[in-house]
Amino acid sequence: MTTQPENQKVSSYIIQSQEQEIKRIALELHEGVGQSLYSLFTGLQFIEKAVKEPEMKSYMGNMTNIMEKTIQEIRLLSVELHPPTLTTLGIVPAVKSYLKLYTSTYGIEVTVDHCGDEVPLTERENIALFRVCQEALVNIARYADTSSASVIFIWDKDLLSITIKDSGKGFDVEAGMEKSCGLAAMKERMKLIGGKCSIASNTGEGTAIEVLLPL
Amino acid sequence: MGFKKEWETSLFEEHCLNLFPKLSSDFIGLALQNDDGPDVSWRYAAGNQNEKYKRISVRYGKGIAGKVISTGRPMTIMDFPHHITGRALEYPIMLAENLRYAFAVPIHINEMPKGVFLIGNRTEKPVAEMDKDIIQKAAHMLEREFGSSNKKSV
Repeated sequence: MTTQPENQKVSSYIIQSQEQEIKRIALELHEGVGQSLYSLFTGLQFIEKAVKEPEMKSYMGNMTNIMEKTIQEIRLLSVELHPPTLTTLGIVPAVKSYLKLYTSTYGIEVTVDHCGDEVPLTERENIALFRVCQEALVNIARYADTSSASVIFIWDKDLLSITIKDSGKGFDVEAGMEKSCGLAAMKERMKLIGGKCSIASNTGEGTAIEVLLPL
Repeated sequence: MGFKKEWETSLFEEHCLNLFPKLSSDFIGLALQNDDGPDVSWRYAAGNQNEKYKRISVRYGKGIAGKVISTGRPMTIMDFPHHITGRALEYPIMLAENLRYAFAVPIHINEMPKGVFLIGNRTEKPVAEMDKDIIQKAAHMLEREFGSSNKKSV
């Protein structure tokens, strides 16, 4: 029979391996596939300029256009999987960068408020916080039926608090926890980095998710 | 730019908006590729519940509109979010407008899909075959208008 700390160790190991794999794929898409496609794109543009025959020129133009869209989709997919800013600049710029993509994908406007001085976190903490914010935001897009939301970062001397709030449909938290693995996974991720995640919601009154991490 | 916008709006009013009362569908929307890049965004809608569509950029190959653009073929969604390819989150316009059934056709300009015309229902009612025919005809009308305007500008 496995013990509680042993289970936690296994969960932590599985999550970390998954994250490493996601990061590798995101990087490969951005730096490998993305760069190769960009080389092809500039090549197509060059050929398009050189072609004189109007029909073939128009055909080349269409090919260039499809290539441009594919490059853009690869870049967006890479940011969605693992924003490069998460490792280099930290959680706040990474969430802000993700929110640009989020608003243009779901049409939901999200305001970001920031209070206190940002403290550098470990990569493991950054990833866990980012995934929890991402899960909360996609839940808003999927279930809340609202056009706006907010993310508030408060950096205290020894505690980071992130609140993700919406004024949408809301839900019964107990029933939601039983139905959705996503909510339980958010709590578990925070527990694994020594933090806490609490969910407050009532039907018709919106939802607030508070994430706390001791610094 | 201002003139083009006005011209597009009048096209939408003439070929799409005027159809809306004749359709039994809850929502219609028109997405078109922007002039300054590959982005395709929802420009016009009727029967919308909110303004989210205005901020949504269609992602190439994603969701109903993205798939219609990438394949150049019509697409039907039945009983969303069940029986779909991929995750429900990949269908932003269905989520934004709470649609359960939708039908979308491509708008070809210069033989390339550069836009999407979509109709949808929020109730358990599939999109009527008659409505599908009407919007397919409207899409062809739009294609002709956009095509002739492009020839003029060349």
